[in-house]
Amino acid sequence: MKTGKQLVNWLDTVLREFEGVQLRHSGRTRLRVDVGADALPALLELLQGLGSYVHLSAISCVDWIDDDEFELVYHVWSYELLSLVSAHIRIAREPGTYLSIYDLYKPAAFFERDIHEMFGVFFEGSPDMEKFILTEWDGPPPMRKEFDTRKFVHDTFGWQDYNPQWLQALKDRGGGIVK
Amino acid sequence: MRPENYQAVSQPPSHEFELNIGPNHPGIEGNYALKIKVEGDMVVAAKADAGYLHRGFEKLMEGRLWMQNIALVPRICVPDPAPMEICYALGVEALGGLQLPERAQWLRVMQLELSRLAAHLFYFGGVAATMGMYSNMFWGVADRDLILDLFEAFTGGRVYSMYNVPGGVRRELPDDFLGRLGALLDYLESRLPDYDRLFFSNYVMLQRTRGTGSMTQQQALEWGVTGPNLRACGLAFDVRRDDPYLVYDQLEFDVPTETAGDALSRILVRRNELLQSIRILRQVAAQLPHVAGPVRCPIPNPLAWNIPPGESYTRVESSKGELAYYCVSSGGDMPWRVHVRGPSQMHAVQVLENLAVGARLEDVAQIIFSLDACPPEVDR
Amino acid sequence: MADISYKSRGSILNPLRSLSFLTRKPVTLPLEPRAASANYRGFHLNDWEKCIGCSTCQKICDNEAITMIHIPELPADPVKGVRAERPAIDYGRCCWCGLCVDVCPTASLSLSREYIHICNDDELDSYFILPDPNGMHELHFEHGWQKTADSDLVDLKRQAMPVQAADERLQTFAEFTAGYDDQQALVEASRCVQCGMCHDACPAHMHAPDYIRAIWEQDLEEAVRQIYRTNPFAHVCGRICTRRCETACSIGVRGEPVAIRWLKRYAMDALGHDRVKALVAGMQGDSISGRRVAIIGAGPAGLTAAFDLAQQGHRVTVYEALPEPGGMMRYGIPAYRLPHARIDDDIDVIRSTGVEIQCNVRIGETLDMTQLQDENDAVLLAIGLQFGRSTRIKGADHHGVRSAVELLRSIGLQRDLPVPHAIVVIGGGNTPWTLPAAWHACSAGNMAVSM
Repeated sequence: MKTGKQLVNWLDTVLREFEGVQLRHSGRTRLRVDVGADALPALLELLQGLGSYVHLSAISCVDWIDDDEFELVYHVWSYELLSLVSAHIRIAREPGTYLSIYDLYKPAAFFERDIHEMFGVFFEGSPDMEKFILTEWDGPPPMRKEFDTRKFVHDTFGWQDYNPQWLQALKDRGGGIVK
Repeated sequence: MRPENYQAVSQPPSHEFELNIGPNHPGIEGNYALKIKVEGDMVVAAKADAGYLHRGFEKLMEGRLWMQNIALVPRICVPDPAPMEICYALGVEALGGLQLPERAQWLRVMQLELSRLAAHLFYFGGVAATMGMYSNMFWGVADRDLILDLFEAFTGGRVYSMYNVPGGVRRELPDDFLGRLGALLDYLESRLPDYDRLFFSNYVMLQRTRGTGSMTQQQALEWGVTGPNLRACGLAFDVRRDDPYLVYDQLEFDVPTETAGDALSRILVRRNELLQSIRILRQVAAQLPHVAGPVRCPIPNPLAWNIPPGESYTRVESSKGELAYYCVSSGGDMPWRVHVRGPSQMHAVQVLENLAVGARLEDVAQIIFSLDACPPEVDR
Repeated sequence: MADISYKSRGSILNPLRSLSFLTRKPVTLPLEPRAASANYRGFHLNDWEKCIGCSTCQKICDNEAITMIHIPELPADPVKGVRAERPAIDYGRCCWCGLCVDVCPTASLSLSREYIHICNDDELDSYFILPDPNGMHELHFEHGWQKTADSDLVDLKRQAMPVQAADERLQTFAEFTAGYDDQQALVEASRCVQCGMCHDACPAHMHAPDYIRAIWEQDLEEAVRQIYRTNPFAHVCGRICTRRCETACSIGVRGEPVAIRWLKRYAMDALGHDRVKALVAGMQGDSISGRRVAIIGAGPAGLTAAFDLAQQGHRVTVYEALPEPGGMMRYGIPAYRLPHARIDDDIDVIRSTGVEIQCNVRIGETLDMTQLQDENDAVLLAIGLQFGRSTRIKGADHHGVRSAVELLRSIGLQRDLPVPHAIVVIGGGNTPWTLPAAWHACSAGNMAVSM
């Protein structure tokens, strides 16, 4: 098992083979890797094989609407090296598709399904892209930044005001709700 | 699934029978459904159906100030809310570069372990109920209630304590609290022989759970299992020890494991964790009077608090497994993205669907509960 | 505690040992509702005497459960910063997080130990309550979750203004307060809870919450824009205003008020004179009304009127008898309080909007009143009060008795002032302190002063 310093050196050397990669260490256990979207499956396969990063902790999606991009972050953890690598890629918001990494990591099925129904990103090769949580929702993917939850509530539901006795009495005396 | 959206379909004759377990079912820890197909009483296919507890927290958190979100996060996991609050607070502290005072770190460890105790007692009650042993269910819930009394004493809330803010905790402990904590730990330790006699060394329980819902370590690693479920398969991985946070590196505790990977192993691992949590709590109670200082570092006015742009991925060991928060800030006073990775997102979906196949109908509820599948974490 | 091993067989008779419970004393809990802990977050209580209706609780509530209600019988005092409004809470939305209690600037809100409310569907209106000191059902429960010193979410301490040391001040008329730097201004502006009491208390109703927020957002142009909506003398007011805003500030109830005046000065200083001028030019409309106005007196009133009239498109000329415009600002306030260069900056901005100022013009001598009235559509007299008040004590007309106003004007005009070896001052307000300080400074500390 590699020691901390050996690990840092080894990872840096190996990962720098990828074109356009950027590395940032924070603490002993965290490494941020930025790669191009097409290099990611190779990167993950390398990490899994050589570094035994067998545990996919999560796949997060961040909607950068001003850049017109989605950022996908793959957090993988190695039980042997005790380190977490977060691999960041950016994909275009339209058409919003990417490859699935299900054949590398089985837990990806859940996250890819979740990101698909929440953000609308389609993962080619993922075993199940059916809706899971929002089974009766036919609106736009709700986690996208352009979906305004307040507006949705205003348009869909009717408001009801309270009218307790004390408020009535106040209104009669010239008081009432300010804002 | 709303009744009006269900269309009855005429199926060709077969030996299979489709059965809905849930969303209202005593074998499930929340509102969650598992659609299974049974042939006789053997399950041949299982499909999880979530969404009954979806409140849209991740979207809601994007529209609220950093401080306001402390009221939302405990609600993401009902039986074990403290790790949620603490993981969020740790995430914001990492983003904002806040220095957590030492006393606050000890208080957070105390909350985490008390919450773990409460969640495990609830678990024992629940898993016993899935086998029809209702006395144990009442015991588990009643003893958990005593822990909730302690939470009420120092946080002001029984279940959703809303006690952690980015920067520390909100109140100092009451004066008599450590005495009450010691008394409760003594009481719980005195109750454990009763639990053992009634439940843990009960012939019926051992027979029913041995070999039920078993998975190998290889399968567990493939499916992304973490926490006590993984330790029940033999891999001694605990976020507290292997990716330490707060003051866990100063505490002595063991990480119990079992090897068989079935329901009994999972139950026994949690029983041993209960003992370890009591051990940690005794150390914390002994150390707290010697840790002086504020319980919160200075923070800006919550109405005017910008966190510099960045991201953080913080993990804690909740009673169910590895809980992680991915927080992204774009430099404003509200989060840009908060992604909650709950351990049950693996356990309640993929693992459950795979383990249920081949099990008998009466064991399905037991498998669900022995995995400690917590639906609010899946749905958020 | 013996370990249970995976392979144990257990015994089917083990549970029978629980029969021992028959000999144990049963646990009996009373039927009455259990008393909550001392820290419990129950239903709200609000002390109406302390509450000032600032609505900060409404802003922090993450469920938007709080609504402000106007109650006509309550006292409203804009000068002290008290509104006749109190918070009402929707218990259908409230989650009892207690952030409202922790942020309340006056510590009037707290949560009690009461936690039971029962109603049926027809009585849902009972969920909307107006908390008062007696409690939701007037059952007088004790306090639960209250504000404590270490949990306060508002910062009660103000950023300290760096000041010149006393011995240095004796030697010079340079401004003795240094002004906030960027970091101090940011922190000070972040203390504001945007209640708007300052806006109500300000005689000019300056948009203080808006410019404070703009300073916090580091948008200095927006801050100056908000300032110029009501006030063209921000350099001056940012140094010498009597700060009615700070008297009304909600944070000032239990702590030091937000330094609203210093923040105004910071915004103007930090943006710089040229950019302020450019900004004000951008705010001006294009309309020309074709009318002419003459203003007699280039003091604060006259020049503010000139600025406002020029914004509306009128052609304004200001006539001033003294050598420089400014009035009491220049000739009544010593330069270490209000540097003349800052007055010049403000007046330069006013000039840049098209206002013409003619100095050394005394109406009645240099120019005739009737001439003004003929040439202009309106004439405004803004000559101010130039003489001090008499004490009406016998002997007050002695030649050694001087009036403060006249002396300050001499200092302002930089005339040579004889320095006696001792003076006696009658009076204890601002001017009685200012004048001797100025005169003392002129004497480089060689004059004895008795008040």
